[in-house]
Amino acid sequence: MNEAATVNSDILEEAASLRWEIGDNMHDSLIESIYEDAAKIADKVVTKIGEKPRFNWETTLDKLLTSRIFGFPLMVVMLTLVFWITISGANVPSGMLASVLIDQFHPMLKSLAATVGLPWWLDGLLIDGMYLAMAWVISVMLPPMAIFFPLFTLLEDFGYLPRVAFNLDNMFRRVGAHGKQSLSMTMGFGCNAAGVIATRVIDSPRERLIAIITNNFALCNGRWPTQILIATVFIGALAPAALSGLVSAVAVVSIALLGIFLTFLTSWALSRTMLKGEVSSFSLELPPYRPPRILQTLYTSLIDRTIIVLWRAIVFAVPSGIAIWLLSNIQISGNSLAEHIINFMDTFGLFIGLNGVILLAYILAIPANEIVIPTILMLTVLSAKMAGVGDGAGVMFELDDLSATMTVFQAGGWTLLTAVNLMLFSLIHNPCSTTIYTIYKETGSVKWTTLASLLPVVMGLVICFVVAQVWRLLF
Amino acid sequence: MISPFTSLLFAAAIGGVLLLFFWPDSGLFWKWKRGLASTRRILVEDALKHLHDQEYHGYTTTLSSLSGALTINRDEAAKLMARLQSIGLVKTIGDGFELTPDGRKDALRMVRIHRLWEKYLADETGVAAIEWHKRAEKLEHHMTRQEAEALAVTMGNPTYDPHGDPIPTASGKLPPRKGCQLTDLDVDEVARIVHIEDEPAAIYAQLVAAGLNPGMQVRLLEKSPQRLQFIANGEEIVLAPVVAANVTVQRLPKEAETNGSFATLCALGVGEKGEVVAISPNCRGQQRRRIMDLGVIPGTVISMEMTSASGDPIAYNIRGAVIALRKSQADMIQIKRVEEAVEK
Repeated sequence: MNEAATVNSDILEEAASLRWEIGDNMHDSLIESIYEDAAKIADKVVTKIGEKPRFNWETTLDKLLTSRIFGFPLMVVMLTLVFWITISGANVPSGMLASVLIDQFHPMLKSLAATVGLPWWLDGLLIDGMYLAMAWVISVMLPPMAIFFPLFTLLEDFGYLPRVAFNLDNMFRRVGAHGKQSLSMTMGFGCNAAGVIATRVIDSPRERLIAIITNNFALCNGRWPTQILIATVFIGALAPAALSGLVSAVAVVSIALLGIFLTFLTSWALSRTMLKGEVSSFSLELPPYRPPRILQTLYTSLIDRTIIVLWRAIVFAVPSGIAIWLLSNIQISGNSLAEHIINFMDTFGLFIGLNGVILLAYILAIPANEIVIPTILMLTVLSAKMAGVGDGAGVMFELDDLSATMTVFQAGGWTLLTAVNLMLFSLIHNPCSTTIYTIYKETGSVKWTTLASLLPVVMGLVICFVVAQVWRLLF
Repeated sequence: MISPFTSLLFAAAIGGVLLLFFWPDSGLFWKWKRGLASTRRILVEDALKHLHDQEYHGYTTTLSSLSGALTINRDEAAKLMARLQSIGLVKTIGDGFELTPDGRKDALRMVRIHRLWEKYLADETGVAAIEWHKRAEKLEHHMTRQEAEALAVTMGNPTYDPHGDPIPTASGKLPPRKGCQLTDLDVDEVARIVHIEDEPAAIYAQLVAAGLNPGMQVRLLEKSPQRLQFIANGEEIVLAPVVAANVTVQRLPKEAETNGSFATLCALGVGEKGEVVAISPNCRGQQRRRIMDLGVIPGTVISMEMTSASGDPIAYNIRGAVIALRKSQADMIQIKRVEEAVEK
């Protein structure tokens, strides 16, 4: 070793031993000195024009919105209002879109295909499969999202949503989660994929994962129509006519509340088992209130949230339309492929209080929950070999008439148990493929994506199983 | 179809078995997996660590100390030592054993990896203090030298583990031990905690529960064979001497004592102000960086804005921004109250 190298290594040794003396507080001192310097510079160059305290009305508003007495009721009122505007406001444009895209445009395309002389299978594949799946997703999904997202963003922009997280944090803390999960969960009621994206506001890694994995328990708007239809047809019908509307509404709300309960339960279990070791840090900024920028909000929520989510849903729905059509139209020894699969799964399906049709529909509808009911109706007609209902094998449809819908379900051998379990399973099953893809994009981890996809479907099957057995014991 | 009662019973049985196997930590599956891991290499590495630990504390390693530390019987311990001697890592000296220079190098490498892991678990994960040692014991055996260096770099080459033990350098240097036991202090002496022993776990758990951490200042109030009473960072703590003996301290001159008891941020009422004095060392890693990044550093004046509807997170005005902190966090920020008159 030459002399320079000896000196060098001596210096390094000396430096290393000095590091023991300094200890590990260096980072603290660094941040302190940065702040000190920044404060000095700011004092020198920034002139403060008078004292500028927080506005008086702001403090008053904060006191009201976070008060022990009014805080929670105001929050419930505000969120109910948003949901009510969304649901009632979306009905009309949804119906309009459906009548244009499905009732008018679909037959037009069919007759156009007939004039051109398209072979029947190509016409079925393209128009009955691809087009119809896409049209269904757009007409069910677009209006509620186009109303819900802007409203939600306005509340966020105004500064109210951070206060909601502030108020609710205590509940979420107890199950090991973050108050802001209340926001991603609420967003999940609009769309789970958007809810998963909304978890970005949670800066603590562990709490963010919990929020992502449990978001699926927020009943998204693709599943509301299923809940409402089944509740009206089966559960509302149990009550006297005057009360049936109320009873079915209560049933749907109970399912949504069960979803919230499961969110808490799963968060609690996850934070104590699988996510025990993940880092957790909390902080929540309460920004000053601002007048919402309406045009900008409309633009960003429509482009960033609605259009992107809709586009992803269409991309996934088109192949599923093809799959549905193919399964119903490929015949093997006299029966379609779909019927073979249904027969194969029927024993297991009935055992857990569902049936083969529902299980197949949920597999086919992984891309979009919106097409569950049309698929179930089509498959039921197909497998029960009903004549005169629907538009043929592989063509999804819905019926305007509730009693006609009931007839189809009865032909499929449905009972009240099937209906209850369908409602439960609709709440507790795997996220749609759009959401799964979003979870993967957000977490970048196959492990967490798999957990988020499989956990709910296993829970759903177990719950359906238990409900079916207990039901059979009691009745 | 199977009767519903039978199927429920069957499902409950399956669920029970699954729980038995996969219950976090104590499930049979995890036990079995851990059992597989205790190979000969791990025994060798643990033996080296034990030899080094004894040497560092000035004790001799004997067969019984080894069999005690590794929970193996004397025959196995003797076999293990024979093996270590044959590969030239250990030599006999009188009744006991001692590391050869090669052995010391290997041992220090193991100690380094162990302490790096403890530091990592403490700062970069949410694992509870009581589990750091246990987990590091497992993780250290599955790491190459390169991986260990990469880990050290990501943490900015830390010099101490969370218990206050120095981390050996990559070239195997370790500073000499300093300080004395907390029980050696005289009444009214002031000292700083430099190390908290993490074994045995039952005693360490008590020290964690008392909130003690390296870096804290202590002053002894009262000392008897039954109990030790002292002030640590403004809080009065009573420990049994056997527990307190696991705390190493370094004496400080009497004048160094920073003034007495501090309130924490939690104590502020609406509109009241406090000046940050320190952030507890219990607040570490990402959480600490986050809080400091928000501008909570000694000298910052914080005022309490409002409580949430459910009482827990409390909003504070920190350098002009309203930030909500949970009680458990606010409790780790020590302040002294600022009277309104101090207003600029």
